[in-house]
Amino acid sequence: MRTITLKGRPIVSGNVEGLALVSMKPISFLGGVDPNSGIIIEKSHDLQGKNIAKKILCFPNGHGSTVGSYVLYSLVKKGNGPKAIINQSADPVIVVGAIIADIPMVDQVDIKKIETDDEVEVDSEKGIVKVRKK
Amino acid sequence: MYLTPGEEKILNGERGWAYEVSMKILVRLGDLFNATQLIPIKSAHISGVSYKTIGDAPIDFLEALVKADGKTKVSSTVNPSGFDPDYLVKRFPKEYQRKQKRIIELYKRMGVDAVLTCTPYYLQQPKPNWHLAWAESSAVVYANSVLKSWTNREGAPSALAAALIGKTPNCGIHRAENRQPSIVIKVEANPRNEAEFGALGIYVGKTLKDEIPVFEGLKNCTDAYLKQLGAGLASSGMTSMFYYQKPSARNRMETISIERKDMKNAVETLSITQQNPDLVFIGCPHCSLKEIETVAKALKGKRVKSETELWVCTSRHVKNVAKRYVNIIEKAGGHVLCDTCAVVTWIKNLGFNTLMTNSAKTAYYAPTLNKVDVVLTPLKRCVNVACD
Repeated sequence: MRTITLKGRPIVSGNVEGLALVSMKPISFLGGVDPNSGIIIEKSHDLQGKNIAKKILCFPNGHGSTVGSYVLYSLVKKGNGPKAIINQSADPVIVVGAIIADIPMVDQVDIKKIETDDEVEVDSEKGIVKVRKK
Repeated sequence: MYLTPGEEKILNGERGWAYEVSMKILVRLGDLFNATQLIPIKSAHISGVSYKTIGDAPIDFLEALVKADGKTKVSSTVNPSGFDPDYLVKRFPKEYQRKQKRIIELYKRMGVDAVLTCTPYYLQQPKPNWHLAWAESSAVVYANSVLKSWTNREGAPSALAAALIGKTPNCGIHRAENRQPSIVIKVEANPRNEAEFGALGIYVGKTLKDEIPVFEGLKNCTDAYLKQLGAGLASSGMTSMFYYQKPSARNRMETISIERKDMKNAVETLSITQQNPDLVFIGCPHCSLKEIETVAKALKGKRVKSETELWVCTSRHVKNVAKRYVNIIEKAGGHVLCDTCAVVTWIKNLGFNTLMTNSAKTAYYAPTLNKVDVVLTPLKRCVNVACD
């Protein structure tokens, strides 16, 4: 199994491992993600119908309403939040969501190098993302 | 970012979780946007109130803040809710009422003044050069451009965090060097009414990124017209402020010209139907006293048709001082609603399909947020169409 190591910028620190769920599209948490289940409901999104719960969620950035931060908090409270967030470029909606929900987060990572179902280890204190290719 | 010993203590959780998480939000955002320190603010205005717009999303987090005894440190106000307390409240399911009241109650318990308006500046007008932390994009643009106060375009959580800490990071347009215009909008065909001012805002906002425009040759700039222009700019783009009088020193800048055909195009694109409206709505952003007076005068001797509703939306505060005009509007069959507006309530559930408004911001949002067809037209025609 091939392992690659990516370096990003630490946003919220934590140490977690999990399976990657990768999107090349921005995610709007308010309206785009079901706040109870964690299923992506935005129409014609490349992850529509997929569940972000307990995944290492990789996507370029957030967009849409700033209330989206609160959706991340509610998801984590219900046990359906992502284990970690890896972004290309952090924006305030996702950063604030990760802070209040205490989700380990790194940005400035080239997410094209990660594929869905890769095993990913995140050390967001150091900003290090280890990817074991499936 | 430099933090004082007191701020460090809050960040380390010594004042409890509510302040710790608020401080984390401010410090992290400050770091990301190159702030060097936190600065005191005079007030915070918080978005994220209408249950129609935000659903259950914020309830868990607000509950946690209240439980952790979070209290605001500066004068803090909130955006409109999903219904008014007299007329619309009775027309929605009990569940909606309960959830909406809970959200408002949680804000109140943190010490927020539940003014439920998008025009907090009509209640307490901030002074020039005051630093603020406001969400609600139309109020942000109005505060920076017309009132000459200084505020970034906050999100719902960052405005709330600033309210609890009483400070905001000194990044973005809290710095003088970031308040310089970077693009000229040469107005060759002046907008003739508030609908056209707003449409100009939508049109220009789409082409700008987060640049600060200076409008050249803009005439007849009443506060109400500038409010519409700013609300339009902020709806279709990320603009936080504009200039409408030439700033003293300026470099050579890119210029965009607005001709009559552009103005016409801007208004026509926002009117997506020619159908007769079943709802006529004035008050986005919420009406000032003067605007309510204008509606009342336009209604003189007229009567709202039975098949149409006329809503005039404002804050409780303005409704109270406007009693004389409110009576005229209500006698003519119109409704003066406070705490809400047509965009943040469930107009589709009430059976409305076609909305007529003088607000370009509403015309821009309502087709997607409310799933209704829209006609954008000036106040006078709105009132005429609403009446027999």
